[in-house]
Amino acid sequence: MPRHDLHRFSRHFSSYTELRVQENTNVGITFIKGNNTGNTRSVMGGVSARVYQDGSWGFSSSPDLDEPMVRSVIRAATDNATFMNSRVKKGQGNLPQVQATGHADFATHKPRASQKVLVDFVKEIDAHIAATYPGLSSRTVSLSVTDMEKTLLTSDGSSAYSLTPRSLIYVILTVHQDGEPVELFESFGGRGQFEDVFSSPSELYEGIARQHQHLMNKAQGVFASAGVQMCVLDAELAGILAHEAIGHTAEADLVLGGSVAGALLEQEVASPLVTLVDFAHTALGSTCPVPVYVDDEGTPAEDAVVIRDGVLKTFLHNKETAAHFGVAPAGNARAYQFSDEPLIRMRNTAILPGKSRLEDMIASVDDGYYLVKPGNGQADSTSEFMFSVPLGYEIKNGKLGRAIRETTISGVAFHMLKTVTMVSEDMKWMCAGMCGKKQMIPVGMGGPAIKCTISIGGR
Amino acid sequence: MEEPRKIAGYARDALLKAGADKAQCLLAQSAKHEMNVDAGKLSLLRTTFDTRLALTALDGQRKGTSAGNQSDRAAVDRAVAECLGIARSSQPDEAHDIAASQPAATFKTGDEQPDLERMYFRLDELLQQIQVRHPKAVLRQAYVDFTHTRSYFANSNGVDFATHKGVYHGVLMFSSQEDGKVSSFNYTGFAVKDLDRPLLQCGSVDTLLRQSGEQTSTRPVHGKFVGDVIITPDCLGDTLYFLVRSLSDFAMVSGTSIYRDSLDQVIASPQLTIHSRPVAEEICDGYFVTGDGYAAANSTLLDKGVLKSFLLSLYGANKTGKTRSANDGSAWVIEPGTTSLEDMIKSVQRGVLMARFSGGSPSNNGDFSGVAKNSYLIEDGRITYPLSETMLSGNFVELLKDIRAVSTQRIDYGQAILPWVAASGVTISGK
Repeated sequence: MPRHDLHRFSRHFSSYTELRVQENTNVGITFIKGNNTGNTRSVMGGVSARVYQDGSWGFSSSPDLDEPMVRSVIRAATDNATFMNSRVKKGQGNLPQVQATGHADFATHKPRASQKVLVDFVKEIDAHIAATYPGLSSRTVSLSVTDMEKTLLTSDGSSAYSLTPRSLIYVILTVHQDGEPVELFESFGGRGQFEDVFSSPSELYEGIARQHQHLMNKAQGVFASAGVQMCVLDAELAGILAHEAIGHTAEADLVLGGSVAGALLEQEVASPLVTLVDFAHTALGSTCPVPVYVDDEGTPAEDAVVIRDGVLKTFLHNKETAAHFGVAPAGNARAYQFSDEPLIRMRNTAILPGKSRLEDMIASVDDGYYLVKPGNGQADSTSEFMFSVPLGYEIKNGKLGRAIRETTISGVAFHMLKTVTMVSEDMKWMCAGMCGKKQMIPVGMGGPAIKCTISIGGR
Repeated sequence: MEEPRKIAGYARDALLKAGADKAQCLLAQSAKHEMNVDAGKLSLLRTTFDTRLALTALDGQRKGTSAGNQSDRAAVDRAVAECLGIARSSQPDEAHDIAASQPAATFKTGDEQPDLERMYFRLDELLQQIQVRHPKAVLRQAYVDFTHTRSYFANSNGVDFATHKGVYHGVLMFSSQEDGKVSSFNYTGFAVKDLDRPLLQCGSVDTLLRQSGEQTSTRPVHGKFVGDVIITPDCLGDTLYFLVRSLSDFAMVSGTSIYRDSLDQVIASPQLTIHSRPVAEEICDGYFVTGDGYAAANSTLLDKGVLKSFLLSLYGANKTGKTRSANDGSAWVIEPGTTSLEDMIKSVQRGVLMARFSGGSPSNNGDFSGVAKNSYLIEDGRITYPLSETMLSGNFVELLKDIRAVSTQRIDYGQAILPWVAASGVTISGK
């Protein structure tokens, strides 16, 4: 529930102003080989103001929320904008005026679990793994819970409250093969507070069993053959592809900074099978992993169709870049901490499902790879991307073969997406994503499986 | 507002009074002034003030930590109760402890206040110099900040440290454009005590901007071969990441470190000597107190290829029965070698000048693969052309042993001082 009424501060706004009170609460509990190495809780919150004057911005923040301090933060942000504007003199004029109200509270209605309950929950999972898989040389189980609570008021009259929680359990399993460690990572959970996401440790055991089987396969695995290969990328890889390789190049601040996408608007950049959307809050009838209803500039959040049927249709904007390009902003300006300024960020980026079945896609490959899990990823202003792949299998004559060891895939997204020949009918969201761009921020990434040609690292 | 040192002492004592066996408190107050450039234009002045109150309690060898950014008396009392509650919810572990008693000390470095006019002057000067010297470059995002932090660390063994630190940081991300073609983005950063020098002269800024302008037209290598790499100072940090990760608490406690039994053994080429020097005069962005509450000291990680220290916290040391490291790592200073960069390049028959590596996190056994970014092909002892769509793969454990030269030249980033390093045995594959 909203705890702060910011409207009384609006009389202190002298230029375009965003006033935001935010609190991020994090809980972290870790067991490494049965040792409870971490048990922490942190609450970081405060107030920030951002002020715009004719193309220049000022920002200020403080952890103290008393009334004089809030006034002082507004004044400091205004002074900072004045300092910049008096020197830079951009003369850009006003930002587009938008007004929105929003209330999105994903707090649980169940009684809150104590820290002891959380510790015992993680401990029980760890004990299950130790008892069930004695051949493992190491195991790590950790719980990470984040609540992000924001209250916003803008001088345009937008006001919004949101509480967006995320609860994740990470499991890392390790075996030693020929004296060397081989590991596999899996995450469980997603949007919601712990009580709404997890009910019993045993609910994770089936997923952990699959993870363990994949690890055993990987320990016996082979190195991929380096070079350009026909691959089926499973849903999670398609999701990170959508985010890293396409989404970032379409962020308007990166376009202004030289992204290759700047020259490709309304051009064919992908197979007609590919439609890629940055969803605001609801996708295909369901609430997204990171729902955004009103962004941190007070803009009502709407879906942004980045690629429709293979054609690049739009960039992702904040108010300033929207004004530059003469379009309406769609709510992509987000900040991670109270002390962070909003940046252009993706929300829930996904390739839309197609009509093929995953089994048929694998069966159609004579010699290639089925790549299952993504690790980290990075993309470039050229749309050249790289993702690590900690889990994958060979495909030989349409059938899955041996597992492969860690590898990396890469390509130029706007070339590679033209090689997509099949898109699966199902869709899966990755709910544990964090995106780094000056600040870290939670994002959703999703997609179906896609069949394409791609460069793979190996030996 | 109460004096910060008193608040830290009050929190420590309150934890003990509430029943903790051992207690520690870190109170840090920071002020940051940050001037930003977006898409080549000065855009934002950001001033942030923050507090971090981090409490640790041990109760029957059960450990809890809580952190917040409020430091008034009521907030401290809430944090104390919460921290003890967290400790009591933990599982006991004999390895948990707090830092032993040390003489009280106050450490000071850098200015207390930023020179905002000079920050503006230097950023504006940078934009003008880039226009003249590197006209193809677009500064996608850049900032210079001045951060001043006052930190107080107190524990129930009598540790009482104060640190006052002020430092300027610069971060630049850029690409280049020419005839409708775009280079890969690149980035770099540095720390400086003052703004006496133009930003273009700090760290590797000028070199990387020049290289960016050369990289609007790129080609993949043809085929696949095993060759040499010359790793630039900007890329060396990524390479060190594997070594650092393998020597730190998580890998050592979980038993996944490939180096867990390698102390005093040769794990790298004798050309390689790596120090961590957080309190050295040559490092302007170091630190004086470890996360555990020990006075940091300079140390040697690798001496002529021999592993001389792990990077273990007090907990990691107690858990593994090995020695706690003298610092928390970083502030890396790699000793220069005897080969000039020019001679290094001349010695490569076929390989890559590896200026940025966009790769997956390496496996615990050291296997890595990724894309060579902002990099060049070297053939017959000379740089031939900038690369794209070229992948590098190999094994960091082997690569450290296969280092055959370290350059005489080094780049001073303020946070680290690093040379170029040449190694062999990397698989290079293109189209």
